[in-house]
Amino acid sequence: MKDLLATVKSNVSIAENIYAITLTLTGPLKNISGGQFVNLSVGEGAMLLRRPLGICKIDGNDLTLCYQVKGKGTKKLTEAKAGDKLKVLLPLGNGFDLNEFNNIAVIGGGVGIFPLIAAIRAYKDKNFYSYIGFRNKAAVCLLEEFEKSKLLTVTTDDGSYGDKGNAVSAYFSDKNRPEADVIIACGPPVMLKVLKEELEKRNFNTPCYVSLEERMGCGIGACLVCTCKKSDGDNARVCKDGPVFNIKNINL
Amino acid sequence: MADLKVKICGVELKNPVIAASGTFGFGREFNEVYDISAIGGISTKGMTLLPRLGNPVPRIAEGYGVILNAVGLQNPGVEHFISNDLKFLKDKGVTVIANVAGNTLEDYGKICAKLDGLVDFVELNISCPNVKAGGMAFGIKPESIKAVTSVAKDSLKSTPLMVKLSPNVESIVLNAQAAQSGGADCISLVNTFTGMVVDIERRKPLIANNTGGVSGAGIKPIAVRMVYEAAHAVNIPVIGMGGIMTGEDAIEFMMCGAGAVQVGTANFADVNAMPRIIEEMNNWLDGHGIKDINEIVDTVKLN
Ligand SMILES: Cc1cc2nc3c(=O)[nH]c(=O)nc-3n(C[C@H](O)[C@H](O)[C@H](O)COP(=O)(O)OP(=O)(O)OC[C@H]3O[C@@H](n4cnc5c(N)ncnc54)[C@H](O)[C@@H]3O)c2cc1C
Ligand SMILES: Cc1cc2nc3c(=O)[nH]c(=O)nc-3n(C[C@H](O)[C@H](O)[C@H](O)COP(=O)(O)O)c2cc1C
Ligand code: FES
Repeated sequence: MKDLLATVKSNVSIAENIYAITLTLTGPLKNISGGQFVNLSVGEGAMLLRRPLGICKIDGNDLTLCYQVKGKGTKKLTEAKAGDKLKVLLPLGNGFDLNEFNNIAVIGGGVGIFPLIAAIRAYKDKNFYSYIGFRNKAAVCLLEEFEKSKLLTVTTDDGSYGDKGNAVSAYFSDKNRPEADVIIACGPPVMLKVLKEELEKRNFNTPCYVSLEERMGCGIGACLVCTCKKSDGDNARVCKDGPVFNIKNINL
Repeated sequence: MADLKVKICGVELKNPVIAASGTFGFGREFNEVYDISAIGGISTKGMTLLPRLGNPVPRIAEGYGVILNAVGLQNPGVEHFISNDLKFLKDKGVTVIANVAGNTLEDYGKICAKLDGLVDFVELNISCPNVKAGGMAFGIKPESIKAVTSVAKDSLKSTPLMVKLSPNVESIVLNAQAAQSGGADCISLVNTFTGMVVDIERRKPLIANNTGGVSGAGIKPIAVRMVYEAAHAVNIPVIGMGGIMTGEDAIEFMMCGAGAVQVGTANFADVNAMPRIIEEMNNWLDGHGIKDINEIVDTVKLN
């Protein structure tokens, strides 16, 4: 884990309100798994907190993060231009470990698809079956990253692109759903909650790993502001013990 | 290279830069980023007799140049610290300050007794604004500050007692004096200012606990004023904090009478904040031809 001064290579809009920023680092990032994230400085002085963003793509020394414009930090980030310097603390947290699995169902909603892209890119010879959902056609992006999937279902809430519905219902209602050894998922809290309920209702015993979001301070496990509840009643730190957890072990 | 060593209540710190409670855990995570033996000391996460799970999330929010937190004293309990973290910190050679909190006077006595002789200082958190049952109650009025300080002092035979003052009070001067007369060996200030941030779309406070403690760069001028006032009202050492982001900020507190400083929120903005601050202090001293950091302490003259 290191705090680096990275150089912005590009920062472009890839869908409505969604940007991809590519940072050139001083050296290559190795052994990164999807779900790991960075803590990016967006406006030192006024904004003391770094913004956690999932690692999406790594190409040599280039790191691409994709972000939705939500509040003042991500808004400010859209102003970053090629050549600007940004501080970035990385890599943080534990990602998806897919080593022992071959057939992987991928369920992603909205900005939750970005860490899943990194997971898919990290493994060359595995079978991915992807179900990804967006709000509407204007929000659809990075489909090309899912093209190597053996199966790809795209949904939108309003049916303006792909199937009408959401990624979780698309997965469970798929009549030709392939047998998966593991499910990996990331998306808004309600999506993960519904996913957990569906898995329990159907007595699925396929292991399922999800990546969580929580507001953070330090990002490295020291300040205990990013707590989530484990099913045994104890707390876990999203930044350090996660952000990827076995869905069985956490309350959503 | 200036001499950065300072002595507080007979304890020598290799430099005056201490990690502020709650922002640095028990040091292990930051030690993955840099060797924490570089810093002067660590004030641990606030500990209680029994483990606590703390407040619901969100526990943090941001304002302009400040943050708010309401962790609610999540901690593994003092016994866990003694058996799992104390040795690690001692081996690192940093000064260990055990930050403690209680719901009752009796709790404070018991927790101090458990730590007596094991750590370099016990820092009494009598001001944590987030714990409904106690915390604030002890930290507001001079009478209760004196009472809790003397209970803690009675339980500490060999470890010096640091009392951490809340800024959410009527008179920092009277409270500092109350800590001194209760038997404090030194005082630290400031803890966080109680604040609130509202999400105007939902018309609800952003932090689950509604209010949170405000810290970071924006509180510094208030903290500097309070440290100056407290330092000139007591004759025990004062440890200053509140919004320190740079070496120059730390020097400002020391010139106002602080014998050492603590750094909290800066650790979030910059994981390497503490080693950087130490280096910046050294550079400032070198640049001004000052050989010993102690020469600058309490050198501000009011207009
Ligand atoms: C591990 C992790 C990975 C993430 N990956 C991505 C990603 O790849 N792409 C993406 O678009 N978003 C991602 N997010 C969410 C992203 O961090 C927030 O949308 C962003 O921080 C909002 O910042 P802001 O300044 O625009 O909003 P503001 O509301 O101005 O932010 C104020 C504070 O709240 C925090 N905050 C607000 N919303 C969230 C949130 N949903 N999660 C965590 N912190 C929040 C901010 O970090 C900041 O500290 C991720 C979050 C986490 C925890
Ligand atoms: C996330 C967080 C947790 C904190 N927890 C504690 C605590 O457990 N005990 C305590 O005495 N102070 C606690 N504090 C207060 C700090 O130790 C410090 O007094 C305050 O943040 C002001 O310094 P700063 O502006 O450098 O952060 C906490 C502060 C933050 C930001
Ligand atoms: S953000 Fe500090 S512990 Fe997770």
